[in-house]
Amino acid sequence: MKSFWKNLYGWIDERVQLEDLVKFMGKKYVPVHRNSIWYYFGGVSLFLFIIQVVTGIMLLFYYKGSSDLAFESVQFIMSKVQFGWLVRSIHAWSANLFILSIFIHMFSVYFEKAYRKPREMTWITGMLMFFMALGFGFSGYLLPWNELSFFATKVGSDIAGQIPWIGEPIKEFIRGGDDVTGATLSRLFGFHVALLPGIFTIILGIHLILIQRQGISEPLHLEKSSSKEKRTMPFFPNFMLRDLLLWLLVLNVLAILAVFFPADLGHKADPFSAAPAGIKPEWYFLFMFQSLKYFPAYILSIEGELVGILLFSAAAILWLLVPFWDRKSSRGEHNRFINYAGLFAVIFIIILTILGWTS
Amino acid sequence: MNYSNEKPVRKTRRDFLKYLLMGGIAGLVISIFYPIISYLKPPKQNEVEVSSVKVGKLSEIEKDSGRIIRFGNKPVILLRTKTGELKALSAVCTHLNCTVQFRKDLELIWCACHNGKYDLNGRNISGPPPRPLEPYRVVVKGDEVFVSKLT
Amino acid sequence: MKKILIQTLFFISFCIFIFPKNASAKEDQCYVCHSTLGGKPAELFKNDIHYKKGISCADCHGGDNQTDDMDKAMSKSAGFKGVPKGDNITAACVRCHADSAMMAKYGAKIPTNQFELLKGSVHGKLSIDGTERIVQCITCHNAHGIVMVDNPASPVYPLNIPQTCGKCHSNAVYMRSYNPALPVDQLQKYRTSVHGMRNAKGDPKPAQCESCHGSHGILSVKDVRSSVYPTNIPGTCSKCHSNKQYMAQYKIPTDQYANYSKSVHGIALLQKHDLGAPACNSCHGNHAATPPGIESISEVCGTCHALNAELFSKSPHKKAFDEKKLPECETCHSNHDIVTATDKLLGVTPNAVCSKCHQEDKDPKGYMEAKTMRQLIDSLESSEKSALALVNEAEQKGMEVNEELFKLRDARQARLESRTMVHAFNLDKFKATVDKGLKVTSTVTSEAKAAIHEYYFRRIGLGISVVIISFLALVLYLYIKRIEKRKEES
Repeated sequence: MKSFWKNLYGWIDERVQLEDLVKFMGKKYVPVHRNSIWYYFGGVSLFLFIIQVVTGIMLLFYYKGSSDLAFESVQFIMSKVQFGWLVRSIHAWSANLFILSIFIHMFSVYFEKAYRKPREMTWITGMLMFFMALGFGFSGYLLPWNELSFFATKVGSDIAGQIPWIGEPIKEFIRGGDDVTGATLSRLFGFHVALLPGIFTIILGIHLILIQRQGISEPLHLEKSSSKEKRTMPFFPNFMLRDLLLWLLVLNVLAILAVFFPADLGHKADPFSAAPAGIKPEWYFLFMFQSLKYFPAYILSIEGELVGILLFSAAAILWLLVPFWDRKSSRGEHNRFINYAGLFAVIFIIILTILGWTS
Repeated sequence: MNYSNEKPVRKTRRDFLKYLLMGGIAGLVISIFYPIISYLKPPKQNEVEVSSVKVGKLSEIEKDSGRIIRFGNKPVILLRTKTGELKALSAVCTHLNCTVQFRKDLELIWCACHNGKYDLNGRNISGPPPRPLEPYRVVVKGDEVFVSKLT
Repeated sequence: MKKILIQTLFFISFCIFIFPKNASAKEDQCYVCHSTLGGKPAELFKNDIHYKKGISCADCHGGDNQTDDMDKAMSKSAGFKGVPKGDNITAACVRCHADSAMMAKYGAKIPTNQFELLKGSVHGKLSIDGTERIVQCITCHNAHGIVMVDNPASPVYPLNIPQTCGKCHSNAVYMRSYNPALPVDQLQKYRTSVHGMRNAKGDPKPAQCESCHGSHGILSVKDVRSSVYPTNIPGTCSKCHSNKQYMAQYKIPTDQYANYSKSVHGIALLQKHDLGAPACNSCHGNHAATPPGIESISEVCGTCHALNAELFSKSPHKKAFDEKKLPECETCHSNHDIVTATDKLLGVTPNAVCSKCHQEDKDPKGYMEAKTMRQLIDSLESSEKSALALVNEAEQKGMEVNEELFKLRDARQARLESRTMVHAFNLDKFKATVDKGLKVTSTVTSEAKAAIHEYYFRRIGLGISVVIISFLALVLYLYIKRIEKRKEES
């Protein structure tokens, strides 16, 4: 058995010089320190993304993306296809856990200031993937074509439409027309299974290559210490095995959630009926949705909601470009302001999400 | 340090752990691939039937007969006339929603509840029913008979 | 004082208005001549109410009624119209009869809307030659010998109305030119009815044509506004039949309408506008209105409730009821206040009807059969209910249950069929029908239970997976620990 693997390895090595790559990989080290645990969240996010791709492809075998069949096909998957309920429920829960995981991953990178030179591109690609993940969530949510998703899409694209100048074209682009119709469903289905996965994979590839090339970043306070004082662990096999262990635990949690809280379906979307009371978007959009409600109707003759949208857009752009305006961290200095800004963001998001959920 | 004693013990323990690991991985692989394979196997009803229902073989439907089939959760009456023509109509009586039936002896569709009568085209010809029965479309592909909504 | 003054003034002006015509008017020369000449019109006119009120021939025919010179009197320049033809006849009547001031002048208390009603009615349509309306005032009221409606000599006095209408409506050749599908046997049928027989004997109170169809504004039965449109019939009949004082001498009940409007048929017709539901005439007949005889009740009810009637007629109850002079369907279901027949009607409980004859001590076999039938149908209902509850539970747990809901339709159908099968009064047949339904409910129950079981089975599957994964995680953890320990030692 063992010799089989050895021979196979040798066969490939002769043709692509695998040995060099293996040596390179073998030299990878992961810093070990108080905050090492956050390093795992990148891997967990990757794992959840892979789960999404696999369960998503499986769902594609039975899902039908037109407005007169979408709901019924999801019902079919839930009731007639063997383990269909499991695949769909895992896909739904994994989506939520994926977004939670990337929030954590993003904030941990932020607080560690791992975005500083030379890792600016890693941060940018990561943020792009973050926005695309939200796009995955928004587009995927409509696909069952049930009451909740229909109206959530309507409200969401309405808000997008309020952005000045480019808002209306964006809204029409998302909706495939003036209203949310079967055209919207086709379009968002295309985004969800083709466009976004394609672009995401490319950007993910760049992100991973950058990490492999540049190694895992160290915390600021360790930069100044000598290499002898730094504790590390080899990426292969230690960090990887620990990563896998965590992935197994996440898999366990997913299975339990999928069985005890299976994905809901509700009623088929009826464009002519009124929106159900208390309609709200998925939890990861909730903080923005809720905070928009607190803006007064008008601020200096500009519509309050519009001010809110612009503020959020500005915050997102600043956040995206943080490696470029946080000069201190690139120089290796502590930056209290970054910490406070980040802390404010985390607390804001948490409180407004809770408010939005309980209102 | 007595290497000779420790190494064999460790070796067995190492092998045991490796066996457990292999076993665990095998278990994981099975518990992942079993649902995946089952999922990919086509279910008895191949695809979601919303607008069209497969009824069965044409050769199995007798001339001058009628039967009730399920369309979603509504009953539909499928008739085959003396001349072999197939017709499908809603089997919900337009008076008070009882299920109608084909009466070979009367050569029409009859509702047992209040003696309502419809001709074989679904038109209400006698009794309380105020409207005709809604028609459905019948399509024959090869030997298979399908019933679908008209619109 | 003021009051007396006003009354005197009124009296004087009244006299000035009324009396001069009579006091200073000379005699009606038209009448004077024509009554001497002989001829029907003048002879009839003697008894005419218009004559008695001082209205002259010239008021309808035009001309000068003060001169005895024929040429002058009947000249065009004097306004002589001759014998009015076609719609001009009615126009002549309408000139006064639609004018309420004019009618008040003569102290008439009759309505003034007859022409309006006639115009909108069936009779107001054009006749086949297209030159005039089908009917003119004189068609029913006569031309010269017009008397008040309550005068037995009037053709529209209740006792005479059937003949007056029958003049046209019993004439098959005449009616054919207007509506070949309209029957012409109404008068013939009417004479066989209770109303018609009493009318023939000289009682003006029972219904005749006008009572139900109206007089001037007669509309087609198919017209929603007609008093004999199905939804309006109960109200039309109850105009007399619910009037206690009017019906007092006839000694029949007057609660039919009250009972009917509470009944299944009444609610269906009057509130839900289900034209399939029977109105009074559906069971009693239109023109030959008579309550159905005891033996024919099941035939009458059976025109809609065909199966029930057929089963009943073949059952032992038919002979028994007819012999005991019990009105068939009515005995258990009542006649006017028929309520939805629930299962409670069957059996031996206080509200049930079977035990009224089949008493336990006198007829133990019948009593047991009734009791058993009720138990059977109750068991069907309860098993249907529990099956539905299970299906709902499965649906709530996320299982797809459309097929089971569809099958439950058959259970409901079986319950309806068994309620019909009651009328065969045969325990074996009844049990067979109920069993059909019970078979369905037991299938649905087991399918629903299987769906719920599947829901719980998933948790077992989960348990196994969790065990496998956790086991693997534990082993992996130990493996990692071992690798790292080895690293440390090296």
